[in-house]
Amino acid sequence: MNKYLLNGLYGLLGMIMISAIAFKIVQPIKVLPRLQLAPAFNLIDQNGQQFISENLRGQFVIFTFTYTQCPEPCFEINETIQEVQSRLGEVQLEGIPVTFVTISIDPERDTPEALNKYALSLGANSDQWKFGTTTNQALLKTIIGSGFETYYEKKDDGSFSFDPTFILVDGWGIVRAEYRYATEVSSADRILRHLGVLADEVRNSKGTTKLAYEAAHLFLCYAP
Amino acid sequence: MKIKFLLSFFATVLGLAVGFYFFRPHTFHGTVIQSPETSHDFTLTGINGNVSLSDYRGKLVLLYFGYTFCPDICPATLANVGQALKQIGSNADDVQTIMISLDPQRDTPEKLAEYTAHFHPSFIGVTGTQEQLDAVASLYGIFYQVNEGSDATGYLIDHTATLLVIDREGFLKLVFPFGVTVDEIADDLKYMLRQ
Repeated sequence: MNKYLLNGLYGLLGMIMISAIAFKIVQPIKVLPRLQLAPAFNLIDQNGQQFISENLRGQFVIFTFTYTQCPEPCFEINETIQEVQSRLGEVQLEGIPVTFVTISIDPERDTPEALNKYALSLGANSDQWKFGTTTNQALLKTIIGSGFETYYEKKDDGSFSFDPTFILVDGWGIVRAEYRYATEVSSADRILRHLGVLADEVRNSKGTTKLAYEAAHLFLCYAP
Repeated sequence: MKIKFLLSFFATVLGLAVGFYFFRPHTFHGTVIQSPETSHDFTLTGINGNVSLSDYRGKLVLLYFGYTFCPDICPATLANVGQALKQIGSNADDVQTIMISLDPQRDTPEKLAEYTAHFHPSFIGVTGTQEQLDAVASLYGIFYQVNEGSDATGYLIDHTATLLVIDREGFLKLVFPFGVTVDEIADDLKYMLRQ
């Protein structure tokens, strides 16, 4: 009796270990890590309206940082956004809205009017692609520099050196992915894939599958 | 022989089921953040002088942003935290609750001390300049703005009402939404204190 009990116990323990290892290796569920809280903000958009972080709850948001007088690299940032925007139909988003937010790092020159002109030149739909600026430069540095961990600095000639960055934030205001120095290769594919991963998690995180998703977070089953 | 085998098999399954029930992994009630970096440090002013987040390494820190004139949300959340601390008993010595005021005009350190004492004797209330508070609130994902209501008590402040938990090593670990219950807070704190 004792021997059988022991054998059975070993067998089952073995099975549990094998399934845990299999879960880790096969990674049936992929997630994006919850990296940190996105900073809160209170900006002015390209239409001169108040634009606050709380209004983005429940949406997937892709943040970028630029200035309207920026030469070459910024155009590639915008091209990536336009590509993601035009290919959103490839992702099963389950009705979760995707918003693009471009925050100006040059608030002195980028007034709402300047941003509006810029947005029009890009053909940006103001419901889906928001541009933000502020008069509080110190707080802007905190939001972008410390909050989004994106470096920018004004140079003597009035241009800026900065890291082209895309930051993906979920509907709870949590940063889920960061794409840095990303303009050299197209980030659009990765961003679209990650939007799909997030939408899957929202769709399936109910009941017992929620536990599986939390296990995926625990086992660091991160989507590439 | 066969019966013995079956019996031992079922006994094992039953044992495992019971074992799983008692040793199942903890399910957090808040959202777990897996930040690779420690959370943003700050230094603000309490009744006994400067208070920094880093002063409390080694303790769990509960961070709440509000103001003493807050009519409903803040007292409800702080009362729940106070109750949860009472529920976990002496373990509460390893928990520090910090309320950061978003109303530097009306909330002095003295007023905050008096206010927080209503909820739990261990609570600390801190404040700072508008610039300091703008920065700290933003970095913890807290939006706030003055709302000039017609209320007789003066203006109100709209603010994000999350309750944040920073672990013993200074990493932001949990985000509770508004409406989290006493039992849920106590359950998660108890688990984190065992870590």
